[in-house]
Amino acid sequence: MIQVENLRKEFKKAIKEPGIKGSVKSLFKPKTEIVTAVDDISFNVSKGEILGFIGPNGAGKSTVIKMLTGILTPTSGKCCINGKIPYENRKKYVKEIGVVFGQRTQLWWDLALRETYAVLKEIYEVPDKQYRERMEFLNEVLDLQSFITSPVRTLSLGQRMRADIAASMLHNPKVLFLDEPTIGLDVVVKDNIRKAIQKINAEEGTTVILTTHDLSDIELLCDRIVMIDKGNLVYDGQINNLKHKYGQMRELCFEMKNSDDLLSLDYKGHFTLDEDDLSIESDGVSATIRFNSDRASVQEVLKYTLAKIDVRDINVKDADIEEIIRRIYKEGV
Amino acid sequence: MMKSFFRTYMPFAKAGTQQMMAYKVNFIFHLIGEIMSCFIMFFIWKAVFTSTDGKTFMGFTMNDMIVYIFISFMTGYLSYSDGAFVLGEEIRDGSVSMRLIKPCSFDMCFLFQEIGNRVISYGIIFVPIVAGVEIYRYFLMGSVQFNVGNFIMFFISLQFAYLINFYFNIIYGFLAFYLKNLWGTTLIKDVIVNFLSGATIPLAFMPFALQTFLTYLPFSSLSYTPVMIYMGMYTWDKILFSMALQIFWIFAFWGISKLIWRSAIRRICVQGG
Ligand SMILES: Nc1ncnc2c1ncn2[C@@H]1O[C@H](COP(=O)(O)OP(=O)(O)OP(=O)(O)O)[C@@H](O)[C@H]1O
Ligand SMILES: [Mg+2]
Repeated sequence: MIQVENLRKEFKKAIKEPGIKGSVKSLFKPKTEIVTAVDDISFNVSKGEILGFIGPNGAGKSTVIKMLTGILTPTSGKCCINGKIPYENRKKYVKEIGVVFGQRTQLWWDLALRETYAVLKEIYEVPDKQYRERMEFLNEVLDLQSFITSPVRTLSLGQRMRADIAASMLHNPKVLFLDEPTIGLDVVVKDNIRKAIQKINAEEGTTVILTTHDLSDIELLCDRIVMIDKGNLVYDGQINNLKHKYGQMRELCFEMKNSDDLLSLDYKGHFTLDEDDLSIESDGVSATIRFNSDRASVQEVLKYTLAKIDVRDINVKDADIEEIIRRIYKEGV
Repeated sequence: MMKSFFRTYMPFAKAGTQQMMAYKVNFIFHLIGEIMSCFIMFFIWKAVFTSTDGKTFMGFTMNDMIVYIFISFMTGYLSYSDGAFVLGEEIRDGSVSMRLIKPCSFDMCFLFQEIGNRVISYGIIFVPIVAGVEIYRYFLMGSVQFNVGNFIMFFISLQFAYLINFYFNIIYGFLAFYLKNLWGTTLIKDVIVNFLSGATIPLAFMPFALQTFLTYLPFSSLSYTPVMIYMGMYTWDKILFSMALQIFWIFAFWGISKLIWRSAIRRICVQGG
């Protein structure tokens, strides 16, 4: 469905020297610097898949999505979606996709929401019957009824986001690109949006590419993730594999009675652990120790800790996906 | 083909009308301001004519001048276009990406949206002014001056003037975006365009060489041509010639705007997100 090959995007960035002299200079001889936002990325997505596309801030996720949706032209490389090249036949191509950019709205500011959908219906040439069914479905999942007559400019962020999601699904797109669709939403709305995505994927076989910083989105919706960092691909595979690979990490959190106690703990020496197998964070009162349970068993670590210091409270956690991702963002795969 | 074209873009016209309704108070006050400045022109020219000895001023009678003022005001108002001017801003702040993900031509979206706006302007301005001017002429001359042929050609020419204005403003929007620091404000542009197009004073009042030169520039097509046609100042030959010139400018500006758009969207880096 989606093939991405050696995709690359460079931006020219103007460097402005400070002061009036700099401004004048940059007017005649602009100095530019090339920023590589996306650097040789390749991956495929098959039909009906929900792909989680993640990476730290500034990784290049939005830039990739913009190229896949035909907004930006790649510097080099290729992407092909459903047999079409996005930036070559834009008008035809965008008819088959739905797009949501969490920070922007595709709705008309001054129109009532209902009118906006009526406009979209015509633009995408949605037949009456399908339109009615689709609206009913979206209404049910996203609960649009309460604000469908309000002008878009009066909607709250959560309402607007639901409205935007509905707009992207109205014409039954083959592929749905969602760039941070749950940004700034409360738990209930998040849940509704996830349900809508899941439902349209299950019922229509819509392929979905989803970027988000909320990893529960990923855990609930995706089987597979593609992770990029600084424009490079760092991981492409099942979430479960990631869990297996890093699942032995455990997290020990405790509150100390005496903050100096921490100094007396030497996990590294005692258990002979590598850099990768251990990390310690502390704010003086409580501490979080992440360690590899293959190298040092949970029981031993607990025993050692309790023997050395007085704790007020202690607990051990499994590494969840968030923990794993955090580790990868920090240290690389 | 034609049908699906209208199916696609008619909603924009409807949206334009609704948008206009949302800001109707703005619209009314703006209109009142425009009409007031129109009457100021009226009194100025009246003073000019009463203070000159002859009956005509550069070939215009006072009666002609008054018709000129009101028809040229109406032409200016109804052919005005600034809907596409936001394009430069949209490119700068990246919201143009929301335009790019829709299966529509950028110019047609703007065009139809503005047509939706214009429906209301026509309703409020066109009939009253034409009726007012004709009644005025009737009482002054004692006979009906209205000429159906001229009127129809005027109406077509007015639509051409609008289209030229529309594409001219798209291009100006791009230019203003690239040359932000050099170009100054829209106000200056409007003053210059109004002068060159004969909306401020009739081109006939200018030195002959300048007048000929300006006739070939696109600006005279914006206002002077339709007004002259309405007033019956042009022979049929001249009408056909100036309308052909209008059509030439529509295509020229259309082509240029498409070229700029194409190169712009290839080169812009949509920001944000
Ligand atoms: N128009 C632009 N001009 C110059 N640099 C840009 C432009 N757009 C993006 N960049 C740079 O490209 C890199 C990737 O940006 P991008 O928006 O794709 O990140 P992201 O993965 O979406 O991050 P976030 O999670 O914060 O949204 C960043 O370093 C950014 O500064
Ligand atoms: Mg982003």
